[in-house]
Amino acid sequence: MPEKMTHIPYYPGCTLKSKALGYERSAKDCARVIGFEMHDIEKWNCCGASFPLTKDNLMGLAAPTNILVEAEQHCTERKIDAQLITLCSFCYNTLKRTDFAFKEDPGKLKTLNEFLDRKYHGNVKVTHYLEYLRDVIGFDNLSKMVKTDLSHLRVAPYYGCLLLKPEKELGLDDPEEPVILHDFLDALGCQVVDFPGQVDCCGAYLIMRNPDKVLELSHKILDEAAEYGAQTLVTACPLCQSNLDQSEVVRGEMPILYFTQLLAIALGLETEHHQFDTHCVDPKSIVASCQKFKECANAK
Amino acid sequence: MQINTENNQTALRNLEIATGETISDCYQCGKCTAGCPASMDPSPSLLIHLLKLGLFNQAISAESVWDCMSCLTCSERCPKNVNPAAIIEGLKRIHLNNMDSEINLHSLGQEFLAHSTQQAVVSGFRKFV
Repeated sequence: MPEKMTHIPYYPGCTLKSKALGYERSAKDCARVIGFEMHDIEKWNCCGASFPLTKDNLMGLAAPTNILVEAEQHCTERKIDAQLITLCSFCYNTLKRTDFAFKEDPGKLKTLNEFLDRKYHGNVKVTHYLEYLRDVIGFDNLSKMVKTDLSHLRVAPYYGCLLLKPEKELGLDDPEEPVILHDFLDALGCQVVDFPGQVDCCGAYLIMRNPDKVLELSHKILDEAAEYGAQTLVTACPLCQSNLDQSEVVRGEMPILYFTQLLAIALGLETEHHQFDTHCVDPKSIVASCQKFKECANAK
Repeated sequence: MQINTENNQTALRNLEIATGETISDCYQCGKCTAGCPASMDPSPSLLIHLLKLGLFNQAISAESVWDCMSCLTCSERCPKNVNPAAIIEGLKRIHLNNMDSEINLHSLGQEFLAHSTQQAVVSGFRKFV
């Protein structure tokens, strides 16, 4: 256990406290082992889930602005750098784009501050958990913490859309040929299955209006991943996880994991409360196939 | 956004102001359409073409705008920095301002909602209601 934990303000968002609780719990458990503690900001509200694409829709920025104000206050009170870590791709996209919109047009910030009767100073650096692992912890260092042998596991990295697009505003990775999840999986020691559907859309919120279309799109992604030899697929987005998992249930072959659930296994953590049992396609066989290094050595 | 669609030119100008896009920038290369995972029909480039031709009512009544998932593939790939996803969202908003919700909330059902992620429901409300 690291001696001093870095305090990182964290924005959970609605899904992480309910349907994707396993994502949050695994992320927080891993963080503690890696050396940082994720603290929920005190008063948070839903970010609105989707960033408004029409420029005149300032009302859509009110919810994320409120969150940015809370994050800024959280950091000021503790005298730490203003930043906010997120797990959900939708939250990440909405919060980071809102901050970007203010940098591009300070007039919008003024309007929102007046409307909310609060003051966001525009200082919060919105960071995705994966980004923090890559840029602050370093994947090289992460690989040294791995305690479980995952070398037998063929894992497909699935990025989806909102983690990467628009590149100009998020700047996390190349939206067409991203590598961050590839490099992450590489650090964990698994076999990375590079497949064409990794940046295709799963259907996202269309599940509310046209579930058949979501099924069609998700099946295409899952078929490609299976064709390229993946045993499991990892994602950073609860909606991607849900759409893919519910689509795969017909076939019941490929479990869809959050990348932090696999990270917890890799770090040799207790994963009982990481809610693997809530997945439609049971990841039990995948979890059971992963043995800690010393156990492998003993077996030999 | 309130757009009177009776006058095509005014409607188009108002759509441009609302979305921040310049529709005439599009040179119809079709890259947006080629990359659209929703296989929209009429396609994103055709919708923009209809707008350029002044056929505003045809564009806003196209059923395909509701197939858009705002995945931003079109916007990311446009060589002219047009944002088709924003234009499509603009068309959706005009619709929603002039009519009822695009989804029947009562028909969603308890079981469906029990399995849905909150972010899908919130996004659905933002895009279809």
